[in-house]
Amino acid sequence: MVDTTLFMSQLMNGLVLGFLFVLIAVGLSIIFGMLGLVNFAHGAFFALGAYLALTLRPYVGFSGVLFLSPILVGAIGLVVERLLLRPLYNKEPLLSLLLTFGLALFIQELLRTLWGAMGHPFDAPSFLAGFVHYGPVFVTRYRLAVLVITIVLLAAVWLFLEKTRYGRIVRAGSRDPEMVSMLGIDLKHVFMFIFGLGCLLAGAAGVLAAPLWSVVPSMAEQAIMPAFVVVVIGGLGSLRGAIVAGLMVGVSVAMTIQFWPVASTSIMYVLMIVVLLLRPRGLFGERWERFE
Amino acid sequence: MSNMKDDKNINITRRGILKAGAVAGLLTSSVGPFIRRARASEPIKLGILLPKSGTYSVQGEQGHNGATIAIDDIQGKVLGRPVELVWLDENGPQTTQQNMHKLIQEHKVVAVQGGISSGDVLAIMPVAEREKTLLMATGPNATEITGANCNRHTFRIDLPNYETVRSVYPSLSKNGKSWYFLYASYAWGIDGYKQMREVLLKDGGKVVGADQTPLGTTDFSSYILKLMAAKPDVVFLGIGGGDLTNFLKQFHQMGLTGKIPLSSLICNDTDFWAAGPEAASGVFPKIWNYTGSQNTSVSEQFIKKYQVKFGKPPESEAWQDWFGCTAILTAIKETGSTETNKLIEFLEGHKFKGYKEREMYFRSWDHQLIQPTLVAQVKPKITSKYDYFDIVAVAPPKDQPIETLYGSKAETECKLAPA
Repeated sequence: MVDTTLFMSQLMNGLVLGFLFVLIAVGLSIIFGMLGLVNFAHGAFFALGAYLALTLRPYVGFSGVLFLSPILVGAIGLVVERLLLRPLYNKEPLLSLLLTFGLALFIQELLRTLWGAMGHPFDAPSFLAGFVHYGPVFVTRYRLAVLVITIVLLAAVWLFLEKTRYGRIVRAGSRDPEMVSMLGIDLKHVFMFIFGLGCLLAGAAGVLAAPLWSVVPSMAEQAIMPAFVVVVIGGLGSLRGAIVAGLMVGVSVAMTIQFWPVASTSIMYVLMIVVLLLRPRGLFGERWERFE
Repeated sequence: MSNMKDDKNINITRRGILKAGAVAGLLTSSVGPFIRRARASEPIKLGILLPKSGTYSVQGEQGHNGATIAIDDIQGKVLGRPVELVWLDENGPQTTQQNMHKLIQEHKVVAVQGGISSGDVLAIMPVAEREKTLLMATGPNATEITGANCNRHTFRIDLPNYETVRSVYPSLSKNGKSWYFLYASYAWGIDGYKQMREVLLKDGGKVVGADQTPLGTTDFSSYILKLMAAKPDVVFLGIGGGDLTNFLKQFHQMGLTGKIPLSSLICNDTDFWAAGPEAASGVFPKIWNYTGSQNTSVSEQFIKKYQVKFGKPPESEAWQDWFGCTAILTAIKETGSTETNKLIEFLEGHKFKGYKEREMYFRSWDHQLIQPTLVAQVKPKITSKYDYFDIVAVAPPKDQPIETLYGSKAETECKLAPA
């Protein structure tokens, strides 16, 4: 039978994995919540973050790319919103969906052309090498760092949305854009900013995932599916939902690997089906008139 | 916001689509009869099924690159006709099967080569048999492809698991006989586990753990925690492509690289190149390696051409598809024909000399390419970006018959239907 040590380690590992899922999903969730847009290119921005880090690392080091790469991805996001997405807001929702889907394929192909189809080595920084034991819990130092950085990023996003004036406009705009516009607030810039922020978070997730997973063009596909599942389970557009759902998925995957490994990929879909049957809007999904 | 949709705009789009459809229709109807007329100068088409995306996409690119070198070798022509490669995606059994049909029916290919995943190859083998088209399976390793499921139209370049596990076992068993297995949950991994376990148990060894991993797994950390707890003498893997890269990186981060001996059913250089020198360790069966004194002058020429054309060295998959394409082209040239039956008869009887240290041939009763296998060990210190392996042995040793490790007719369970 499984001893407590192993069980505890798996639980901890599942939580860390869960935070990684949260980080990948949170940008997707924010963009959906505010813009009502499903960004299929989220995984591609995630991959872009990793590839920019790969190229810039020799010049600015790991800590440098951890700042620089997400900011660059965010900036690219701003441009994409301004040039490609803004003209589509008042059109059929299907059009922006198709656009982000096309963009995902385009970016992935661009990565393949510029950096090649082959994977690139990308190690964790040496100061985060090794692992730590806390009683029964065994975790690598790098994963621990990912956990801390994710929590800091999530706290910053939460504080921004809940405690600042700008955040209040964003939240109001996401609920009733027409009313907010009538109050004389220019929502165009808010939308652009939010899309950029979502892409920045995707880029940050990409940099952090690069030492754990492979830096290959297909990393975009590998990220987008769990991100969707997490957002759907948590409730579209809910930050709290994304966090709870991400941790749930992480722990379920770890536990499934312990007891029934062959089902470890399908478990998140099973979880999603169960949640959707019980709560069709997801765990923390509220009734929003815009989306009904 | 959706109530503000612009009807006019959508109308134009619809009309645009109709127009585009009409133009496409015109094009196909005028081009159609032209294609149907066979001409002497018409190209000989060869189909390629290799992954363009997913876990094995890197091998797919290498394989396709390799095949193009085989075409360059003959200056792009055989029997006075130009040779053309048609590459469609290998992406799961169903898509691969559809693309196989497309190659045969639409593109009228003379033969099809490729296939990395055994699951995909097992799905297209019946199509090859039914459509009477030669299938040169260059990259799959499940034993049953030239074993229980063999058929007359399928030839296989890559090594069967039955052979690779036996070639590498002696180099691993000296580390101890308590083994942990981690293998992909489809035909290749499942067969490989069965084969290696049989060898291990017969030798008095013990399986301390065995886990199946779904293809495309990104995070192996939970698997690694499990295998650490089991304290095995050897970890034997049946995963490849991006999955192997991810495993190696995470195994390294958990401080296990070089601590627990590692091996796998087969290995591709690209999986290691992507993981980086720090994360690489272990002893592996390998079909071909671009460095080492075992390479013949023919191999050396291939390496040179590949490096000039693509700017990096070829890995196993590139060699496999280069040789696969070369074998098909040799058969077409020597028989002066593109007729499937003639090609099969030629391949069943021909000896390929100069490609490896010993001559290679397709066994006439199971269509497996009989060839020596390399036992490759990751270098203690890797100095070049692409040169990871030392060849520590060639199996079987020179004094033993070359078929030693491939199993007898009874053991392979292959029964080919007569022509």
